[in-house]
Amino acid sequence: MLRSFKEALLGFTRSKTMTAFAIVATSFSLLVLGFFALALLNLNTLIRYLEDKVEIVVYLRDSADAALVGLAIEDLSRLEGVNQVRYMSKEEALERFRADLGPNSDLLQDLETNPVPASLNITMKVGYRDTLHVKDVAEAAGQLSFVEEVDYGREWLRRMEILKHVISVVGAVSGTILALVAIILISSAIKIAIFSRRKEIFIMKIVGATNGSIRSSFLVEGFLKGLIGGTIAAGVIYGVTEIFSKKVAPITSFTDKYYACTMLAGAVMGLVGSWISLGRYLRRV
Amino acid sequence: MIIFKEVATGYARRGRVLEGLSFHIDKGEFVFLTGASGSGKSTLLKLIYHELEPLSGEVVIANLSSLKVKKRRIPYLRRKLGIVFQDFSLLENRTAGENVAFALEVTGAPRSFIRSQVSKFLNHLGLSNKAHCFPHELSGGEQQRVAIARALVSEPFILIADEPTGNLDPSISEEIVRLMIRINTMGTAVMVATHDYSLLKGRDNFRRLHLANGRLIYDGPSGNFNPQI
Repeated sequence: MLRSFKEALLGFTRSKTMTAFAIVATSFSLLVLGFFALALLNLNTLIRYLEDKVEIVVYLRDSADAALVGLAIEDLSRLEGVNQVRYMSKEEALERFRADLGPNSDLLQDLETNPVPASLNITMKVGYRDTLHVKDVAEAAGQLSFVEEVDYGREWLRRMEILKHVISVVGAVSGTILALVAIILISSAIKIAIFSRRKEIFIMKIVGATNGSIRSSFLVEGFLKGLIGGTIAAGVIYGVTEIFSKKVAPITSFTDKYYACTMLAGAVMGLVGSWISLGRYLRRV
Repeated sequence: MIIFKEVATGYARRGRVLEGLSFHIDKGEFVFLTGASGSGKSTLLKLIYHELEPLSGEVVIANLSSLKVKKRRIPYLRRKLGIVFQDFSLLENRTAGENVAFALEVTGAPRSFIRSQVSKFLNHLGLSNKAHCFPHELSGGEQQRVAIARALVSEPFILIADEPTGNLDPSISEEIVRLMIRINTMGTAVMVATHDYSLLKGRDNFRRLHLANGRLIYDGPSGNFNPQI
């Protein structure tokens, strides 16, 4: 095994162009895939952020009985998917409204009575922030006698769902295409590299090398090339993410696991690609 | 040592190339295998190093019959054969010494053994000062001697040469044949396939196998060969 590693490293220096080609093809493919995954990851973060804003606001009549409201809070809290039901008094709501108006809050100064209704602000658990569940809760709240109106940003929620759907479909389709292209590119690079060394394989066989030993030296080489390609790709993605986050806008970056996966993906592709490409040269005795 | 019994073989595209081939080569023999291009010389050699299987009949190499040999045993059989080709088949990106060492490296031999064998055979073939040269820095004759050193380094019982002088000048060709005769005197059997009959001049006592159209039409001393038959 140690000899295979030594041989592989020597092989790098002996066929520099082919080695460089295989490494560049691997890192380029993984780089494109990685950036694509990074874009998806950030879109998902954005969606999660938007989803956090999903809130059902149940406006109460001024005449609402405090005891009944208390019961309603308990009932609503028990509905499927509800995270929290918070009571917002008229005063609190006015304060919030004032804060929302900002410099224009002077407009509210002349008011004699507080026109802003009290409300129950319902947030949903993660995984229930969709039209289906939100609507159920909103409808249940709407049936309460002391409720004036229920608002949950129906149109906004619908648009977000379409966006989510589009992202997942486009992501899956283009992700698959990109992955296929990456596999084809990497395996072609390996095929060419092995083809360029068919004479070496022939000589190995003539002097009595077993298929196993021929395979192991090429597999070690494929593995190392893939690992180097994967490491370069992971490094570039890390660097670009860091620079972008610092200079342009903070973005979600990959966790260490992702980087490890990228490196491993390169190594596995190098290994499997070499195995498959070698097959036709080893099958003949 | 090498026994052919009623051997026939061929290729899917070319059809049958050899038919009814029977002969045997004993330990330490020197044999010229002659015949025009396409007469089946290379195919016969391929049967010896098991690149090709007989369609019928039996080939026995070092007591291993083609009828019984398992595919995974073939590499070990090849280590007992030294094979040389017309195009030298050297690895361009390795030095002469590394090319010779290559034959032992694939067998997993210890480094110290490889080093001593390589220097022994390079020395033997007058290549000691060329050990660090790459093939493109060597003349054709030198390249063929490196290939012969590589074939011999694992100390095979037979050296098989397929048109070893095909790419060489007549004087160098003669030198290579003499070298092979010298190797033979040290105990290694040698089989030289060639269509350059001038190599047999003055070697009337050498055994000659002559192929024509895939059949063995002569097996005897080179001097008694009559091309008319």
